[in-house]
Amino acid sequence: MTSRSRLTPRAKGTHAPPRRFAWAQVAVGCAFFLLIGRLYQLQVMSGDYYLRKSADNFVKELELPATRGQIRDAKGRVLVDNRPAYNVYITPRFFNTDSFTKLKKYLALTDEQATALEVRIASKRGLDRFRQFLAFEDITRDQLAVLESEKNDVPGVAVQAVAHRNYPHGALAAHMLGYMNQITPEELSDKRQKADALNYHLGDYVGRAGLERQWESFLRGKDGVERIVVDAKGQRKDGAEREALDTFYLGGPQRSEAEPGNDLVTSIDLELQKKVETALSKHKSGAAAVIDVETGRVLALASWPEPDPNILTGRLSHAQAEQLNTDPLRPMMDKTLRENYFPGSTFKVVPTIAALEDHLIDPDAIVRCSGGLRFGKRYFRCDKAHLSVNLNFALAESCNVYYFELGQTLGLDRMARVANDLGLGAPTGVGLNSEVPGLVPTSDYYKRIAGGFQKGVVLNTAIGQGDTKVTVLQLAMAYAAIANGGKLWVPQIVERVQTADGQVIQEFPPRLRRQLAASADMLQKVRAALYDAVNHPPPHEGTSFRARVPGLDVAGKTGTAQTGKFHKEGEEGDENNSHSWFASFAPSKDPKIAVVVLIEHGGFGAKASTPTAMEIYQGYFDLQKGLSAGPAAAPEARRAARRAQ
Amino acid sequence: MPLTALRKLRTKFDWPLFGAIVAIVAIALVNLYSATRVAPKGLYQNQLMWFAVGTVIFIVTAASDYRFFERLAYAVYGVGLVLLIAVLIGGKTVKGSSRWLGFGPFGVQPSELAKIVVIIALAKLFSGDPLDLALRPWRYLMSALLIMGVPMLLIMKQPDLGTALILYLIATTILMVVSLQLHVKLLTLGAEFLFGTVFFLFKLHGYQKKRLLTFIDPSLDPSGAGWHARQAIFAVGSGKWTGKGWLKGTQNQLQFLPEHWTDFPFAVFAEEWGFIGCTILIGCYLFLILWALNLAAEARDRFAETLCVGCAALLFWHVFFNIGMVAGILPVVGVTLPLISYGGSSLLTVMVTLGLIMNVSIRRYSY
Repeated sequence: MTSRSRLTPRAKGTHAPPRRFAWAQVAVGCAFFLLIGRLYQLQVMSGDYYLRKSADNFVKELELPATRGQIRDAKGRVLVDNRPAYNVYITPRFFNTDSFTKLKKYLALTDEQATALEVRIASKRGLDRFRQFLAFEDITRDQLAVLESEKNDVPGVAVQAVAHRNYPHGALAAHMLGYMNQITPEELSDKRQKADALNYHLGDYVGRAGLERQWESFLRGKDGVERIVVDAKGQRKDGAEREALDTFYLGGPQRSEAEPGNDLVTSIDLELQKKVETALSKHKSGAAAVIDVETGRVLALASWPEPDPNILTGRLSHAQAEQLNTDPLRPMMDKTLRENYFPGSTFKVVPTIAALEDHLIDPDAIVRCSGGLRFGKRYFRCDKAHLSVNLNFALAESCNVYYFELGQTLGLDRMARVANDLGLGAPTGVGLNSEVPGLVPTSDYYKRIAGGFQKGVVLNTAIGQGDTKVTVLQLAMAYAAIANGGKLWVPQIVERVQTADGQVIQEFPPRLRRQLAASADMLQKVRAALYDAVNHPPPHEGTSFRARVPGLDVAGKTGTAQTGKFHKEGEEGDENNSHSWFASFAPSKDPKIAVVVLIEHGGFGAKASTPTAMEIYQGYFDLQKGLSAGPAAAPEARRAARRAQ
Repeated sequence: MPLTALRKLRTKFDWPLFGAIVAIVAIALVNLYSATRVAPKGLYQNQLMWFAVGTVIFIVTAASDYRFFERLAYAVYGVGLVLLIAVLIGGKTVKGSSRWLGFGPFGVQPSELAKIVVIIALAKLFSGDPLDLALRPWRYLMSALLIMGVPMLLIMKQPDLGTALILYLIATTILMVVSLQLHVKLLTLGAEFLFGTVFFLFKLHGYQKKRLLTFIDPSLDPSGAGWHARQAIFAVGSGKWTGKGWLKGTQNQLQFLPEHWTDFPFAVFAEEWGFIGCTILIGCYLFLILWALNLAAEARDRFAETLCVGCAALLFWHVFFNIGMVAGILPVVGVTLPLISYGGSSLLTVMVTLGLIMNVSIRRYSY
């Protein structure tokens, strides 16, 4: 240590200790005080806030979807259930161009879909790139098989199984059962306020029509939730580490199990519904209702044509939606509940009952029909010259002239009173698909509308034209009431709600809407006339006589509702062709069921609707025989029945 | 001779300085274990190895007489510049900037070394005759700016904004503390500020500008740089008084903190040890820096004095910038926390720095 001489010694004592170092120390002290102050602010003053923030980071709520309830028929057969579906999820961070090419090939994506996917992936930023999003729903089995076998070569793509609504019978009873689709963000913000208890999330399916919609709150169940610990990539650890994390941060597993939705047991008979639809399928467009007259329960309800709810629930393409909405046969329209029709001659039971009730005419009095009636300057037509008819045959033969005169005797309001009593002009109360009320015009009604009351209206009203409108189900309930001696039921589809393991939660006994004013005796007269309308041979041949089926004891009234500008008989489906009705019940002496069939633009009632109704009755009685004799003995019983004829 | 050296060591050894270093190293080892638990495998072992190397370097630096460094100051500075140029030509490129020179499996960051050589060169510059300094302050000033400016430009070229900034701050601190007239110091600061503004407007890369602007207004980038900074603040704040406990910080263990073993280990520490832990750690640093400044005041020559100021400045700016960045009062620039951050070059630089302080301390009374 002798080389000191070369160094400049510090001028000790001249400025010792120098002030500038002390200043530097003060500056350092201040700077560190600032740091400590900031830490105090973050950790002590706002510590709770940041603790919550950090907890929000790693505690995620995992939704445990509830299994939606099934819909079953009266015998417990499944109408609607759930099936596993496979959804494709993509994690943008790990999804590369190779994945994209492969996915495009495996799922056979259109250029449009591929572009949309690219845009979606490009829109993810920051942490969202680590979070998987639902890219494609419900891929096919073949696509699943390819993706599963290649999954190690398609990074960033995952397939997960979820429960998807399933309609195992395809389009069967589509309008009644309904369909589902995803809740929209707008509804979500709205629904949260209204029905918080149901707790919807984005991506959830909601019943959009039919029973699915009406019974949503019963079917849906309650989603469970599990609070889990995730890392920054949104992923959950496995095994022991998972348990340790859950225990440490959440104080043990936090899981509330999902409550499955309840099952609906309906009064529908699956086999009968099939037969009804088979019968309807022979026509282009129509509807039918089968009602148990003793309870008012709906045994079958069909609108034709109908969309497949499996397509509506999920993968509905624009082209499919466009096709469904522009089809002239209107497959999306529920023709049993949502559409008003002129009742045509099926309405003639109304003036008939009105006449009997008020004793305004002698039922046996004869009216002469020469094929039409001149009223003022207009000529009102009848189908043919019925010559002389009394009330019974006027109904059985559907003589317009008789009803033109009866209508004038009764006046609008008497007919309206009886029509309302039969449940026309008001919703039936089935509650499905926002049913329309129909229309029963009164004299008040004509005071309100433009054009006002014209005398000819009474004549047209009496034969079910004019402004009277009914729905298929309304007419079925009215005929059921005539058949059962005057009990107008509220139509019911759901018999009971039960839990998934069969415990009954709520039962729905038959609901009587009202007892008709008409006496049993009067209704008996109407039933007799309706029997003749099908079974009376010439002379006074019933309108459905030629369409009757030997062995089927049916009573019912045809209707031919004019829709075109002129009365014309043409090809079925021609838009000027009349709608064809048949409103009926059977067996005629001890009625069990009421059947109403409407064939749109089907022409004369007896031509299109009556045979369809007969096919339905045949199906019903076959099923009844099969039931009483047991399934194995059914063919035997049928053969025996044939020998007996 | 060895016996004399040992006795000298026992009597002259700076135990308080050593104690503070050991305390911080202990905290570093404990904290890094937690921080690297979710990091790629082997990081902790790597760092232990670096600590071993660092200890040797510390001893070597502390043991060799600092007058040796004084003599070789400009030569060492020259080597530093050569390395910086070498890294620009043949450096490894990581995340878009070439900062590394590869030596076998390990890389070295010459920019870290540059801080030391600049401190030594500046100490040498200002070790001359104080009268000369008083007479021709501008000449010294220009030389100092040159000594700082050349490596700084080379580092910016990499680009490594954080290190360039630290280098600038260290040099400026030295200029502020050496015995220059007040008006010279103020004029220097003013000129630097002007230059800095022009530089920001015209020379910074887009992402660098964005980071600084994001700091001023975090809503500019909620998921990028701003997101990292916010997660760090969540970590710090959620530690509250006593922390969540070692290995139990969620922000750390569940990987919400980016680069948490290099740039954000303080967030890990703050989350797991809380305000009390932070205060203790900052207290250790504060003691270290104040102690180094004391040593500067007591140093027996001007070289040692400036050397200590430079070393204290290096420690101070690293600590202040890193903690300030984690706590959200300074922009996110890649500045490591001495001893606590993972990384060989950074650790070795700090070990050399501490070695130099110890060196001066041991020799302060030996006239």
